[in-house]
Amino acid sequence: MTDTGSTVPRQPIPGGRVSTIRGRWQAPALTWVTRGVLALGLLTVVLPEDAAIAVATAAVAVVIAVPLVRVLWLVHRWRQEHDRRFVGVGLALLGVIAAGAALAALGVGS
Amino acid sequence: MEVVGYAVLALATAAIGALGGLGGAVLLVPALVLTGMPASEAAPLGLLTVAAGSIAAGPRQLRERTVNHRLGVVTELSASTGAVGGALVSGFVSDEALTYVLAVVAFAAAVAGGRRGGLRNPPDPECDTGDVGERVGALAGAYPLGDGVVPYRVDRLPSGLGFMGLAGFIAGTAGASGGFIKTPATSELMHVPMKVAASTTTFTIGITSSAALVVFALQGRIDVEASALVIVGSLVGGQLGANLQSALSPTVIRRLLSALLVVVSVVLVVRA
Repeated sequence: MTDTGSTVPRQPIPGGRVSTIRGRWQAPALTWVTRGVLALGLLTVVLPEDAAIAVATAAVAVVIAVPLVRVLWLVHRWRQEHDRRFVGVGLALLGVIAAGAALAALGVGS
Repeated sequence: MEVVGYAVLALATAAIGALGGLGGAVLLVPALVLTGMPASEAAPLGLLTVAAGSIAAGPRQLRERTVNHRLGVVTELSASTGAVGGALVSGFVSDEALTYVLAVVAFAAAVAGGRRGGLRNPPDPECDTGDVGERVGALAGAYPLGDGVVPYRVDRLPSGLGFMGLAGFIAGTAGASGGFIKTPATSELMHVPMKVAASTTTFTIGITSSAALVVFALQGRIDVEASALVIVGSLVGGQLGANLQSALSPTVIRRLLSALLVVVSVVLVVRA
């Protein structure tokens, strides 16, 4: 995607420390997760039905869990950077998702 | 329709969606509904393709250093609340009503995709590569653009959070990512450079989808058998579309995709 529209006034160089998060672990991990999910998905074509459903369940579980694990990882890294405000925001986000899960488990919306 | 048919549909819609820069779910979910699948079953499949696409795009965007994770997690607080609320509410809503919601979402995506421009933030000659990255404790940062570095800070956060909540609610009810709301809101309203807005949105739509999918999984609404191949189809199609993107005119593709979405929304209303 390219910047094609009108121009906003130049913004000042932001103050404060530059975060040390570079994606050195995240990027290769996400590449391997993508390959793994692709492999699991393709395996469901050749496996017998029971095994295929188990493998498909694993693929779905990975796809759902990975974005949440990324948030957990960020909270850990922000804690290392002593960025308490954003550690709080990250934990609040996970709390909202956990609350939604609890409501669903209690049968709300079913 | 057979599971393989769903996978082929996911491949085609992901390729077309990636070409137009809107993602595939906004096309896949209506297409599944038009094949006879209830909207309540199609929504989780759409969200699984969104989450998988977000994971697959992550490595490139992390290497380009265009994702602002702090901005993403802050806006997700609102979007995920909307997504969880939407997923819970959708359990009470009839499939006919969900189909109407889907028609409105497809039409809104058509409008957003057709007129997307984005603001251009200029590089600052006083910035160097040491300034690249997000700032600790703040919603600000800088990203590399060609030989320069573009600094930015987030404006009008409360308004932005309102739009993110709406995008999340749409994801939870209709199964589309809501990215067509998030990226323009982040760029046009919050004055974040388009590139950073798009990458941060790709990061966040994965979390929004997961938030709603956790609810759907606990409600037993995910068709596991169809899901795995639909995910494969969407990953392959997304890659295919991204590779073809540079060979075609983005403006023409966006307009064609918008026209297609308008047709889809009309057909959905007629069928509902």
